[in-house]
Amino acid sequence: MVRVVELSSELSGKKIFERISLEIPRGKITAVMGPSGTGKTTLLRHMTGQLHGVSGKVWVDGLDVAALERKQLYALRERIGFLFQNSALLTDYSVFENVAFPLRQHTRLPEILIRNLVLLKLQAVGLRGAAQLLPSELSGGMARRVALARAIVFDPMLILYDEPFVGLDPIALNQVLKLIRTLNRELGITSILVAHEFAAVRQVADWVHLIAEGRCVASGTPQQLAHADSPWAAQFFGGKIDGPVPFQYPASALDEALGFVGPSS
Amino acid sequence: MKRLNKHSAIVDACYEIGATGWFLVVLLVAIPRSLRYLRETIRQIWFVGAKSLIIIMISGLFVGMVLSLQLYYTLSIFGGTSALGTVVALSLYRELGPVVTALLFAGRAGTSITAEIGLMRATDQLSAMELMAVDPIAFVATPRFLAGLISMPLLVAVFNMMGLFGGHLVGVNWLGIDNGTFWSNMTSNVNVWTDVINGEWKAFVFGAAISLIAVFQGYNAPPTSEGVANATTRTVVWASIVILALDFVMTAFLM
Amino acid sequence: MNPRRSYVAGTGLFILLGFVALAYLATQTTSLVNYQGGPNYQVTAEFLNVGGLKDRAPVKLAGVRVGTVSSIVLDQRSMEAKVSMTISKRYNEIPEDSFAKIMTSGLLGDQFVSISPGGSREVLKNNSQIINTQSALQLEDLIGKFLTSSGSSKSGG
Repeated sequence: MVRVVELSSELSGKKIFERISLEIPRGKITAVMGPSGTGKTTLLRHMTGQLHGVSGKVWVDGLDVAALERKQLYALRERIGFLFQNSALLTDYSVFENVAFPLRQHTRLPEILIRNLVLLKLQAVGLRGAAQLLPSELSGGMARRVALARAIVFDPMLILYDEPFVGLDPIALNQVLKLIRTLNRELGITSILVAHEFAAVRQVADWVHLIAEGRCVASGTPQQLAHADSPWAAQFFGGKIDGPVPFQYPASALDEALGFVGPSS
Repeated sequence: MKRLNKHSAIVDACYEIGATGWFLVVLLVAIPRSLRYLRETIRQIWFVGAKSLIIIMISGLFVGMVLSLQLYYTLSIFGGTSALGTVVALSLYRELGPVVTALLFAGRAGTSITAEIGLMRATDQLSAMELMAVDPIAFVATPRFLAGLISMPLLVAVFNMMGLFGGHLVGVNWLGIDNGTFWSNMTSNVNVWTDVINGEWKAFVFGAAISLIAVFQGYNAPPTSEGVANATTRTVVWASIVILALDFVMTAFLM
Repeated sequence: MNPRRSYVAGTGLFILLGFVALAYLATQTTSLVNYQGGPNYQVTAEFLNVGGLKDRAPVKLAGVRVGTVSSIVLDQRSMEAKVSMTISKRYNEIPEDSFAKIMTSGLLGDQFVSISPGGSREVLKNNSQIINTQSALQLEDLIGKFLTSSGSSKSGG
């Protein structure tokens, strides 16, 4: 479904990816994991064509994303659902209008059909009763479920979840997990999860890519990665403080910075 | 760590002016695409125009009243108080109406446009639109720009009418100038094209400038609370300077 | 009414109010008030000096506005200023031998054409000319006359 080939990328002068390659199978839930700041979200933005790499290609459903014209790109985006970390609901529209937004923008469906579609999607995430609330009246977990309803209103072929588990209490976490699983199993929607909570990910993901330092350092099923002997996997899934991911941000030697050893001596 | 030397301040200002100019091109190019979001433009006219009416009407009333008082005093020195109607109307139509309305509009509507778009950027709403295949320039930026453009001349007309009413109230009902003199002197000296319509041209240009600056600042605000706050301040500062500068230029060439 | 419609209605109301205000300002507070719509006829008059008379200045009879100055041009043959006036058809019984004067409203006000009716049975028609005219009073001339006359009276006394 998604193939990233030898992608190199920079964000404001800083190297993010260095010839990264990975593949996302159709109809499965794939998790992209890695330490904070490795560019997991950036990877998603490459798949939606918001960012273009320096070299390399990103194929989504057989289309070279970077080569698409605006119209084709927008047509592709209509088939992709995207769940933002902070939900990104439009603050001056009600829950109902937020979910109806993509329908109103891209279709000329009669009002009654829009109403039924929106209510069905809201029912699927369990928030039909909240249709008339404003986003400011929702809790974080509810907002994320509304955003999910909005992402699936067009029955997309692919959903990208950006950090869907951050800041959720255990109940909301399980609700979101269940929704991700249901959407995949029952509608066959290919799902890509960006997350760093392994405990949550191993409950739903069929496949995991671990990226660090601009490369894909390990891939496998959650079970395989949990017991992998790669130092990256061992540190990340074991949660060790030091390892290939250093505790110290790159700096000069401490004694030099504190002035105990003069640079001249 | 702030670079506060004069050189970089000038370079920054030039950069900002240039970037705003480019943004105008982007907005204008997006107008055909934003026509399908006509409803959004109407909604924005409601927010920036209709909701500014109260402040515009009250301010217009008081400006007209004080204008009448001041000019009555000045005219009485020359024994020309019969020209009060003319002078009040001309001051309002040609100068005070467009400029005062524009400054109020920058403070009332400009800041709210900047803050709103800045927050939409900070909370990823603009990215979300892009990913829902809705162009945020056409859906968010251009409708607000057009709303400013359309609202300002209408607000100026309302401001002038209220000002005239206030001026009439003070001049005729309070200072005792003859009602007939007030009106006849005004109607024989005020010209539709050089006074009323040229004032409306000013309003149109000011409206475009304010909403361009407000949308640009919001769209380019750093996605932090400090960034949005600074952008809001810059909207007021830039808009005020640009209004007064444009006012001089337009008065020199138009009137 | 659902909320989606109510702001559209509010916006419509706002736009309407703006245009009403603009229309009011344009038609009720400017010289358009004095615009004589409807049928009218043209009359000309030649003046030695029009002073500060301008296009669209009022034409009055007994203080009542009957028309507007439509053009002021120099007649090269007579070296006089030819003033064309548009008079409303309502006032179609102005005697032909009426007298046209350029006067000033107030001491420093604008100038206008004042018509004093004559006694003839014939009335002004389209393209007639008013023969009897008196030029604008020049303030400078007046002051000059006043100074010379007071000077001569001094020398005489």
